[in-house]
Amino acid sequence: MKRAGVRALLAGVVAAVAAACAPVPSAAPDIGGASAVVPRPANATELTAPPSSAAAAVPSCDATASLRPQGALPAVGQMPAGSTMERIVRSGRLRVGVDQNTYLMGFRNPFSGQLEGFDVDMAREVARALFGDPEKIQFKVLTSEQRIPALENGEVDIVVRTMTINCERWQKVNFSTVYYQAGQRVLVPSSSDATGIESLGGKKVCATRGSSSLVNVANAPSRPIAVEVPNWTDCLVMLQQGQVDAISTDDTILAGFAAQDPYTKIVGPQFTAEPYGMAMPKASEDFVRFVNALLERLRADGTWATIHRRWLGEPPAPPVAKYRD
Amino acid sequence: MLVEAQRNPVRRVTGLARSTPGRFTLLALLLVVSTLLVGALTASSVQRRSDALTALADRSEPLAFAAQEVYRAMADADATAASAFLSGGVESAALRQRYEADVAKAAAALSTATGEITRSPELVDALSTLSGQLPVYTGLVETARAHNRQGNPVGAAYLREASTLMRDRLLPAAQSLYRTENANVARDLGGATTLPWLELLLGAALLAVLVAAQRYLTRKTNRLLNVGLVAATAASVVSLLWVLGASVVAVSGASSSQDDAEVVDVLARARIATLAARGNETLTLVARGSGKEYEEAYAARAEELQGLLARAGSDKARADFVRWQDAHVRLREADDRGDYTAAVGLALGPGPDGAAEAFDALDTDLRESLDAARAGLTESIARARGALTGAVPAVVLLALVAAVAAAAGLWQRLKEYR
Repeated sequence: MKRAGVRALLAGVVAAVAAACAPVPSAAPDIGGASAVVPRPANATELTAPPSSAAAAVPSCDATASLRPQGALPAVGQMPAGSTMERIVRSGRLRVGVDQNTYLMGFRNPFSGQLEGFDVDMAREVARALFGDPEKIQFKVLTSEQRIPALENGEVDIVVRTMTINCERWQKVNFSTVYYQAGQRVLVPSSSDATGIESLGGKKVCATRGSSSLVNVANAPSRPIAVEVPNWTDCLVMLQQGQVDAISTDDTILAGFAAQDPYTKIVGPQFTAEPYGMAMPKASEDFVRFVNALLERLRADGTWATIHRRWLGEPPAPPVAKYRD
Repeated sequence: MLVEAQRNPVRRVTGLARSTPGRFTLLALLLVVSTLLVGALTASSVQRRSDALTALADRSEPLAFAAQEVYRAMADADATAASAFLSGGVESAALRQRYEADVAKAAAALSTATGEITRSPELVDALSTLSGQLPVYTGLVETARAHNRQGNPVGAAYLREASTLMRDRLLPAAQSLYRTENANVARDLGGATTLPWLELLLGAALLAVLVAAQRYLTRKTNRLLNVGLVAATAASVVSLLWVLGASVVAVSGASSSQDDAEVVDVLARARIATLAARGNETLTLVARGSGKEYEEAYAARAEELQGLLARAGSDKARADFVRWQDAHVRLREADDRGDYTAAVGLALGPGPDGAAEAFDALDTDLRESLDAARAGLTESIARARGALTGAVPAVVLLALVAAVAAAAGLWQRLKEYR
């Protein structure tokens, strides 16, 4: 009895000492930073489903056929009264939707801060035809998905921005005749063994939001993972930072990337045809005919070839105009 | 009976209390204990007040300033990088220097702010974001520069990515850091501005006890005054007056610090709003027609800035703000009518009617006002601290003097019963 009491007392003392000597952990917080947060371009997202087309069933059409010019190109200062051209001339400048992120087509020259490229020069030709002055122009930089809304809201008179002519877009805007024939291909790092879109199944492939390239990537049979970004150069940033495995879009745009990064290569054949047209609002058919007359002249007098040579190298024969009347 | 009393301590004390010498002994004991107790409590109360002011002067206020510098320097770096990009070509030496100074300042201020991480564990996320992402940000800016130098338009995309990182991660973290540190300042100031009620109450109670003891002695001994008790009372009065005086000066200093801290806060926020508005103004032009969200962000910042300037800005700052707004309106008109070159000229040009000059003037005004307000704040905190210097030792010493004097005073009377 007494011994049990002593034992209990001893146990109690030991327990108390143990409790008193229990380690007290530091209250200092963890250092953190276990996983690096990778920066991404603004609004870059991975697509889980192909981008939905606005109209489920687009009536088939002859997409590249545009409106036939009516007579000769009117001279500067003699625009038909009441026409879209006269209204633009009265406003004092041509408002053009362009890109500043597509090297060689429409881009901002980092040295001068000026917009330059094949598309920009083509737009300047339109301004020259209207005003006799290629500088009477107001550029509005548009992302791929802003092109059609900008035309529908009347923010710009014309869009010259690597825009593919297709039947779905004909529902909302008018196109000129084809001024450049591109086709979609694939750009990968030079170390990659991909041979084209067919070998990119399950890999991340970048394109801009609202572009036909993105739809083509998302619908490719090899099922790549489409990653959409606002601007084309964001794709190159993501490729250089290892966040995507490839970029797929028109060969003209890819050529601009390859020119900026020697550690990339363009692989595979053209797997789509991307005819570029200048887009104008649905209402201004007279302006479409005017631009088509201008394009006829640019093709014929060698201006088209000169601009092509300046930005894209030795020119092929210009695309042949098709009309639907 | 005596044996019985010795056995029972309670009876011993009550027995003692029945005789006059016994009562005197108990009274002496009571007086010694209460003077010492009141002295200790008062000293600890004054010490608490002094500790709050020390924490404020040595930690909270410098940390809030460091957090504000982190926030400001990062916002400035973002605005400067955008300006350098807009100017085209290789950025000017002045803009480059300004950017480098901002990064150096942000990193240095961040190291100060990070040192206190154990005191505010809720800041772990913000601080690790800031110190982890700042090198990533500068890396992106340098990549953008390298591409710019080679004429690659992808440089602009790197700059956009850097700016996105700054706006989406770094600036919100810097803002939450600043808010927390500023709340700490407000809390510490609140602790220092409580009126010295406890000290007053304790002192008054002690004086009441001393006066009652004096009157009791006068009745019992027919002597008008007991020198010891008079000395004890005097010491207690001096102690109470000292504490009250010092506390009132400290509280008034802390109260004026509160006003100064509010002015500092408003000016700091105005300065950051200025930088953010400037960054958005520049990015609107960089976006070339598709910068509607930047222009909206500018308008929101400008409105915030106007409110803040109305509260704490100098007349000159308000005038410079109006000048900047005018330049901005003209700049937007030029851009909207298609004269991009004129718009860029108004944004970056050195002319007195340009936005750059007005922005720089406003930033300088705000910096000067902020420096003055902060100097005022640290001075009033220093004044409050100065008032409490030596109060604790004085209280302790006077309490000891009072205890000894009270005991001595009663000892004299007790001796008469021997």
